[in-house]
Amino acid sequence: MSDWLRRHRGLVPYLFLVPGGLWLIAFFVVPLVTTASVALQEGSLGTGYRLTFNFGIFPEAVSRWDTQLLRSLQFGLIVTVLAMLIGYPMAYTIAFRGGRYKNILLLLVIMPFFTSFIIRTISWKFILADQGFVLGTLKDLGVLEPGFRLLATPVAVISGITYNFLPFVVLPLYVALERIDPRLIEAATDLYASRLQAFLRVTLPLSIPGVFAASLLSFIPAVGDYLNAELLGSRNETMIGNVIQRLYLVNNDYPQAAALSLILMLGILVSVFVYRRMLHGQELTV
Amino acid sequence: MMHHQRNTLGVVALTAVMLLTACGIEPADSPDATTDGSPSTTDGATATAAPSATPVGGGEPEDELFFTNWPLYIDQDDDGNSPTLQQFEEATGIDVTYSEAIEDNTSFFGTIQPALAAGEDTGHDIIVMTDWMIGNLARLGYLEPIDVERDVPNFVANTDPVYLDRSYDPGNRYSVPFQSGITGIGYNPALVDEEITSMAQLLDPELIEKYCGQIGMFVEMRDSMSFAMLYNGVNPSEATMEDAEAAQQVLLEQAPCVRDYYGNEYAQALADGSLAITMAWSGDVFQLQFDNPDLQFVVPEEGAILWTDNMAIPKGAQHPNAALAMMDYLYDPEVAAQVAEWVNYITPVPGAKEIILQHAEEAEDPEDAEYLRTVAESPLVFPTEDMLSRLYSYKVLDEDEERAWNELFQEVVQG
Repeated sequence: MSDWLRRHRGLVPYLFLVPGGLWLIAFFVVPLVTTASVALQEGSLGTGYRLTFNFGIFPEAVSRWDTQLLRSLQFGLIVTVLAMLIGYPMAYTIAFRGGRYKNILLLLVIMPFFTSFIIRTISWKFILADQGFVLGTLKDLGVLEPGFRLLATPVAVISGITYNFLPFVVLPLYVALERIDPRLIEAATDLYASRLQAFLRVTLPLSIPGVFAASLLSFIPAVGDYLNAELLGSRNETMIGNVIQRLYLVNNDYPQAAALSLILMLGILVSVFVYRRMLHGQELTV
Repeated sequence: MMHHQRNTLGVVALTAVMLLTACGIEPADSPDATTDGSPSTTDGATATAAPSATPVGGGEPEDELFFTNWPLYIDQDDDGNSPTLQQFEEATGIDVTYSEAIEDNTSFFGTIQPALAAGEDTGHDIIVMTDWMIGNLARLGYLEPIDVERDVPNFVANTDPVYLDRSYDPGNRYSVPFQSGITGIGYNPALVDEEITSMAQLLDPELIEKYCGQIGMFVEMRDSMSFAMLYNGVNPSEATMEDAEAAQQVLLEQAPCVRDYYGNEYAQALADGSLAITMAWSGDVFQLQFDNPDLQFVVPEEGAILWTDNMAIPKGAQHPNAALAMMDYLYDPEVAAQVAEWVNYITPVPGAKEIILQHAEEAEDPEDAEYLRTVAESPLVFPTEDMLSRLYSYKVLDEDEERAWNELFQEVVQG
């Protein structure tokens, strides 16, 4: 065996790829192919499904659910921008001003993961209930109209998703910012750059790989999110994940659900590709 | 409460479904699984289309039993054991494996369908499914026929006539009720300054103006569609496609004022004041009233759905005699009372009321006695004649109807 390896030294890197490759095949390629095949079938759960290569299902599904598809992309975009506006200053402070508290601060960032995100999202339902602790008190004080509500509004859903994915934004930003050599910033100030100029021309460009990773890690799950709209939203905040869930589990309309899953994936791929082009010329990997 | 549980863990279930589809979905081998979509005049007709066979049972009970039910649907002592099941094991020597694996009719059907279609044992001897699903399973030939006269004499002797010969299972050829409930209206008098007696107060676009944004409806298609049908003066179990479209119209007009379409979580929203008026399940409101006695449950004058969860034996079950013994046992009024005291839905054994009152007399703790009296006297557990006279059943839909109704209703809940 070792002789063989010595003679075929060039193969070693490929051998290292085998476990990961098998993983991808089993848990990505196979489900993807299955999903594609389900999308092209016709029938019902009771009578069975047959593969009929019904490609018409894709345009049908898009035109039936265009509102929800666009809403998902729109919510995903807003969430990403919000998470970036909140997460960048957080990551910046931890990386450059954290000092000896860095580890504790990072622990605090990932602390929410110690409880299930379902439980955390459900607790927002209690906190924000119309007559609950927060809104009820503000209404009694006359600060808010009696009819005011946060739940079942886009504000609640977008805030919920932002809240749930914020750590995914802070961590890659922190990693990117942490790597920046402080001497570069010092050099910039030595060369008469104001602090703002130093940030805009040194720190920010050097952190772009983190920004790219962070926005993908929030945008992709946010677009496909189902839970926040389910728990905090109403009919008018329905996202494509909710539609797919209902098609699969309530209507047992597997083909349409599978088709929508693929369309969602395509939509995300296109968005990421456009985004990648927007950052053209930037170094995007750390 | 445990009924119609919406799967909030949809992500997990979705994965399960994907794995399921990856294994391939076999068409049902039942000859009438592909019945044409010709509208049946009565829903009974679809249920009777199943192949007739000799009933199971009539033999010695086997020594074990796999009983699968919804969560929190049987009595429980402080250690989490069910006295009812323990007493059954002691009396019969049958070893009972009780599981609470059913969270939802449709997704549970998805888990047993492959085995049933392949003609294999599902591993369950008794399953508890809502009436319309019993109708579907019977139509597909997925249930063992039973002979209640011979094997479940307690049912014949002790049940309320209202449970005999329901449209989803005429003559109780495949199932006997486990518990029932009513889908009516619940409201919070702190937010509603009038007495609610009619569905119009929840559906008429002019009348609902003042509760706009504080109205709850159900995300269960059959519940909300049947509700709107009753409002339109249609008997849901005999509804046509036109009736379904008319019901959708009513629901679409109401939609802008609906806060959300709820599963079980409506109860929380009603309790915390987010909802003023909502569709509601009787058992839930009964429970909520312990915290807030002001909350009201109404069977509207237009009528309401009496839904029933039923025990049935899936095709190929290994222990049918033990399953029948369990069904018979649960219809013993003493046992039915013991379950009703804990579950608080509508028991199919009216005689349980006297026994619960008797238990109240015997109770040493005055609080226990008070609780038992509340259970026995609540019209939500033992409905009055007047309520029963206004109750209807869901329609048993064939596959084409089900798909069409689902599509109509999805537009209501998801735009």
